[in-house]
Amino acid sequence: MTHIPRIGIGGPVGSGKSMLIERIVPMLAKKGYSLSIISNDVISKEDADRMRNNLATEKGLLPENLVIGIATGGCPHTAVREDPSMNLSVIEEMETKHSDLDLIIIESGGDNITTTFSPILADYFIYIIDVAGGDKYPRKGGLGIESCDLLVINKIDLANQIGADLEIMKRDAIKIRKGRPFEFINCKTDEGVTKVVEHIVHDVLFDTQPKSLVIK
Amino acid sequence: MDYDEIEQEIGIMQLSDSFFPTGLFATSNGLEFMFSEKTIQDASDLIKIIQINITQQIGPTDCVALAEVFDAVEDNNFEKIIEVDNATFATKSIKEIRDASIRSGIQLIKCVTEFVKDNKILNQYQGNILENNVRGIFPVAFGICCNALKIKKEKSMAMMLYGFSVSVVGAALRLGLIQHFEGQKIIHKIKPIIAQTIQENANRTLSDMWQFAPQMDIVQMSHEKMDSKMFIT
Repeated sequence: MTHIPRIGIGGPVGSGKSMLIERIVPMLAKKGYSLSIISNDVISKEDADRMRNNLATEKGLLPENLVIGIATGGCPHTAVREDPSMNLSVIEEMETKHSDLDLIIIESGGDNITTTFSPILADYFIYIIDVAGGDKYPRKGGLGIESCDLLVINKIDLANQIGADLEIMKRDAIKIRKGRPFEFINCKTDEGVTKVVEHIVHDVLFDTQPKSLVIK
Repeated sequence: MDYDEIEQEIGIMQLSDSFFPTGLFATSNGLEFMFSEKTIQDASDLIKIIQINITQQIGPTDCVALAEVFDAVEDNNFEKIIEVDNATFATKSIKEIRDASIRSGIQLIKCVTEFVKDNKILNQYQGNILENNVRGIFPVAFGICCNALKIKKEKSMAMMLYGFSVSVVGAALRLGLIQHFEGQKIIHKIKPIIAQTIQENANRTLSDMWQFAPQMDIVQMSHEKMDSKMFIT
């Protein structure tokens, strides 16, 4: 069975996980990469339905059946860490049927700052927080913020409105991340999102060409 | 003291533990729909629901499948295991439940083969899953794994029914239908139902397999179609 590289995206409710996916998928698709999305949701299938509609039905960036929603029984962290059985099962089915995919994006249900992905489930872990939670967020740490491969701080446009100091967030992120990468982004305007895509292409896909472009 | 028996007992604890990864924590077996429709009100309703599931669905189907797997393993009859796998698959009329059963079964087999390396039937079953000769439906996979861990047939049936009960009680707890002490009281009250079900089904054969819980079927189908839900049906 072909192993398709997998990114796990986790973060608190409303931090912008689905929005980040909706922004990075068109950029990756434009480069020629074929993707699939698995959206774990604490309640409802709204995120999966929205992404399917926006990215597959309307923009045609991927087939509708490659956006899959998984109900997590109210335990989002369990579904991606302690017991990733359902996610792994869906991925194995995908790896069998769609070996031509370049990347699988797994979105965790909204959770707390201790979220991490099982290393057997995700090769690369992006943790996303947002400025609206206050500039204390990076300083508070937590497994997600500290251990992820890439920390993304979203909604930088809201800093002034809520009195958050981005310089403090930057200082604390540098300290707590111990040299590992983080990016400030605004999913509404795509500011900083290209940097996230560059990390994915370089760190996950190792700058390889999309499978569809490789001459067999 | 029989240390082999202790090792088997620890195997029971391992497979019965909610920490064991099978994905079943995300299922409510239709309970969420009944809760949202207010057709289930309290702990006494919950016991009735679990009892119906055990006596009318899982007992006469999944328990029989599990028992047949044990007999087939004893006879080294892999063809019989394929037959049981197909028959059990055919009893799962609700798509989400059918898919979840297969996904859990396959992941269970994958997990156990990580630490049990020398069991012929286990390896054969996994090989047949990979070759699409069997589906890997949960009761069959569970029977094979219990057997590989030298757990007895009746105890394996108890584990499966206990696991089902805990997943439904756990779902009720998370939905806010009951509180945590009530959950344990319910599990205690279900013990004789589990024991009775084992007694009734341990010696049944595939031709005696049945299920009849039409209202539960409709509930589970309705749950499958809910727009907003926490659980796989």
